[in-house]
Order: sequence, then structure tokens, then C-alpha cells
Amino acid sequence: MRRILRLWRVHAYLDFMFMTRDMRTFWISYGAEAVLSLAAVSGTFLLAERFAGIGTWSREEVIFLLSYGLAVSGVLDAFFGYNVLRISRRLGRGQLDHTLLQPQPLWAALLTEGFMPFSSSALLVPAAGLMGWAGGRLNVQPTPEWLALLGLQLLTSCALVLAFSFAWGSLAFWGPRAAEEISSSAVGLMEGLKPFPLDGLGPGLMGVMVSVMPVGLVVWFPSRVLLGRLHGPLDIWATPLAALVAVGVAVILFKKGLQNYGRTGATRYLPFGHRR
Amino acid sequence: MFYRRMDLHKLYKTALLAATGQASDNWLFLLNYSLRLLRVLVLLALWRIILAGRGPVGGMSLDQVLTYTLVAAAFADQLPPRTALQEALWDGSIANRFLRPVNLLAQFAAESVGLWAFNFCFFSLPLLAGAYWLGVNPWPASPAAGLAFLFSLTLSIGVGLALEVWFAALMIRMDGALHSVLKLREAMVPLLSGAFLPLALMPWGLGEIFTWLPFAAAASAPLRLYTGSGEVGPLLLLQAVWCLLLWGVARLLWSRERENLVIHGG
Repeated sequence: MRRILRLWRVHAYLDFMFMTRDMRTFWISYGAEAVLSLAAVSGTFLLAERFAGIGTWSREEVIFLLSYGLAVSGVLDAFFGYNVLRISRRLGRGQLDHTLLQPQPLWAALLTEGFMPFSSSALLVPAAGLMGWAGGRLNVQPTPEWLALLGLQLLTSCALVLAFSFAWGSLAFWGPRAAEEISSSAVGLMEGLKPFPLDGLGPGLMGVMVSVMPVGLVVWFPSRVLLGRLHGPLDIWATPLAALVAVGVAVILFKKGLQNYGRTGATRYLPFGHRR
Repeated sequence: MFYRRMDLHKLYKTALLAATGQASDNWLFLLNYSLRLLRVLVLLALWRIILAGRGPVGGMSLDQVLTYTLVAAAFADQLPPRTALQEALWDGSIANRFLRPVNLLAQFAAESVGLWAFNFCFFSLPLLAGAYWLGVNPWPASPAAGLAFLFSLTLSIGVGLALEVWFAALMIRMDGALHSVLKLREAMVPLLSGAFLPLALMPWGLGEIFTWLPFAAAASAPLRLYTGSGEVGPLLLLQAVWCLLLWGVARLLWSRERENLVIHGG
């Protein structure tokens, strides 16, 4: 753990230096990320504002859901940047070798190489602000128990997205060119559908959204839990359990892919260095 | 005339390569189709939840909103249109494009047309054909509305392609912030253009302001004409004006900024 913390500190320092290399770049990058983060959820927000909510969700509840979604994106960006979240890009481009060469386990490298807390704070700061505002309007008490629940749901929501991306991304071990962008598609799928409250969807669509395409368990269901909209006490464990299963599947697929990689290696580059 | 025909042939081949490459090179289009279908199903369900029991809102009935959403999904590639120009600037592959014996911007437009044709056949048409199973009327409000939609769609493609050049010029101008410009465009344009949320349904009168922007001319206008929720004359006129204005400036911008282009590799 001490080694992980040390590596995070190194990467945080690198990220800080990268962001502050000149003020122009800093303001453009930071400003763009902040605008982007708000623009990404503004469609749903405007909808909620126009109709005083969406379905059974009030306007404030929708804003809470959107802030939770931003927080999930922010945490993922903070810990798994530089194409760790979009792992198929690294696999497809033959860049896994760069990681395998390092004198540390693969899991430790993947856990630390993408740490970029300063770049991603443009997402996390608006998320925290919106969550605080909506939580205040909804009389959500930030007790230690509630904060622990928030931490659990946030952690497992991120794990679910990460596992989904790695499970799909493992295909790039077998098809490096065809599947180079598959993690981006998988993450894009989650990003595109997560900012909606899904109550009222038909059973078929709802079934898809909480199973094979578990986007409903990433933002909507945890938001319900955090706002106390529970059907029963077991609801709290829905996302953690789904994350556990998804991580297990992703680990199995990734290991299978690594075995294949051990036999074939990176096939993406021609002898003179160009990518096929 | 001979050279023009030769150029058209090259552009046709470029479009054909892009269309066939979609299936032969990368089967992931199926995943993207699944995402697009799932998204439209969720949006249709949400509109039914939100507008159930309400009369027309902002001059649009539930049926019109559903048709608007379905057609926006079916024509998502064109409303607003995208090309690979900005990605080519981002990954440096534009260097190779300059070497090809075809006009640079026409290359990108031809590629997009090829991809649109493929996606239209294998996603849009099945989606429109299956609309009745989704409980949505896929037809335009009237034959005249359908005709106006076709004119408007052509103009919106013109406006959208001009915007592509504007953003590309901006990317070159911003140099170190390519990624930020690219992401900003992806986040802002769908919202401002009314491709996701009909402008008439936006709060605080935002839609009335956005209607006058070029982004609305690239998506909202044809969708409004299709659903019969907009006046033909003013919308087509506004689109034509934006198309002329944007292209006039886009040509100047591009001819100046491309001289400032620096490529460091992929």
C-alpha cells in the first residue's frame, strides 16, 4: 500500500506539472473540462427544469443523480486516465509492453499510471458542488453512515464501469486493430445512458439496463439508494454485488487475453516502426 | 468537364472505400448500433413518461416529440454532420491526406457520405421500418413537410460541414489544446443544435435564442419541418443564410489556418 501511495504521489506531481506548464494551456484545458462536464449533463438538467422533474423524480433529485454521475466520471478520470480506463487502446496499440517492462506487477502499474487528480478536478469540483446543493435542498444529512454509503456506492459504480471496459477491452488481445476502440465504445455507452432516471421503463428495457448493459446500476440505482428511495434493505448491495461479478468476469477475460498475448505478443507494428 | 468527372470518380471511390471499410475492417459498428438503439429506446420511454397526460408543450404534441426523437436518431450522422477532419488533425493523419490527389475537404466529405450510406442502410432504415413496433409514427407530418425536410437536410449538411471547417481552423489556432476543442465541440453542439432536446421544449426561452444560432440550422430546422412544428419559409431562409455566411468565412479561415498547421506525429 505504501508503494501505491508513493506512486500516486509521483503521478500527482507529474500531472500538476503537466497542467501548469503554462497558464494559457491550463485555463483552456481546465475551462474546457469544466464546461464539458456541465454540458454533458445539461440536456437532462434542462429537461428536468422544464418539466419540474422527470417522471417521479423531482428537479432536485435529478440534479443529485446528475452530480453522482459526474462524480463517477470524475473518480474514473482521476484514477484511470491515460487510457487505463480505455484499456483496449493500450492493448491494441501494442503499448502493454511498456507496462510489462516495468519492475512492478501489472495490477500496480494499471492502478497508479493513470492517476491525474489535478486534470480531473474540473469534473470533481462541479460534481461536489452540485451534489452539495441538491443534497441540501433534499434534506440529505451527510452523516458518517451516509458518507460511508456514498463511498461504497461510488467505489463500486466506478469498479463496474472499469470492469465493463476491461471485459470488452480484453477483445483487443485477439483483435488489436479491430478492437482498439472497443473500450471507448463501452465507456461511451455508459456515459451516454447514465444521466437518466430509469423508473418507469418497461420490464424488458429495464432488464437490459441492469444486467448485460448494467448502466442502470452505475448511476440511477446508487442515486436511489443514496436518496433513500429503497424497495428493500438489499437494494444497498445491488451495485456492489454487480461490481463484484463484473470484476470477476473482467479478470478472467483479461487473464485469458494475457495468456494469448504471451504467445503472440504485439502484432501491430511493422519492423520499421509504423503501425499496421 | 473531363477533370470534374475524374474528381467525382475519385470522390465516389473514396466514399465507397469508407462504406465498405465499415464492415470489412471493423465489426464494432454493431456495438455502436446497439448503443444508438438502446439510447433511442430510453429516450422514447422517457418522453412518454414526461409528457404523459399533458397536452401539447411548446407547440409539440407527444406524437410529434416521439417522431422528432426517432428521426433525430435515424439521421444522427447528418444532424449535425460530422467528418473525420478534426480526428485527422488530432492524430496527425491529415499529413497523408494532403498528399492525395483530391481536394482535402472534399475527401473528408466523401468519406462521411460513404459512412452515412452504410449506416443509413443498416441502422436508419431498419429503425424507421420498425417504428410502428416502437409505437412511433415515422412519417413526415405531410408530403410537403417531407419535401421541405429534404431541402432542409441538404442545407443542414452544408451548414454542418462549414462548422466542421470552423472547428478544424479553431483547433489549428489553439494548437496545444486540440483535445479540449474537440471535446467542447462534442459536448456543446448536440445541445445547441436541438438534436437531443427539441429547442421548443427548453426552459427559460433558451430555445428561442438557440433557434437563431447556426447549430440549430444544422439539426433542429429539418426535424421541425419533418414533424410540422416549424414554418417552412423562415427556417429554410435562415439555413440558407447561415450556409452562405459560414462557408464564406470558412474558406478564408481554412486557407489561412492550414498554413499554420504543425504536425508532430500521431
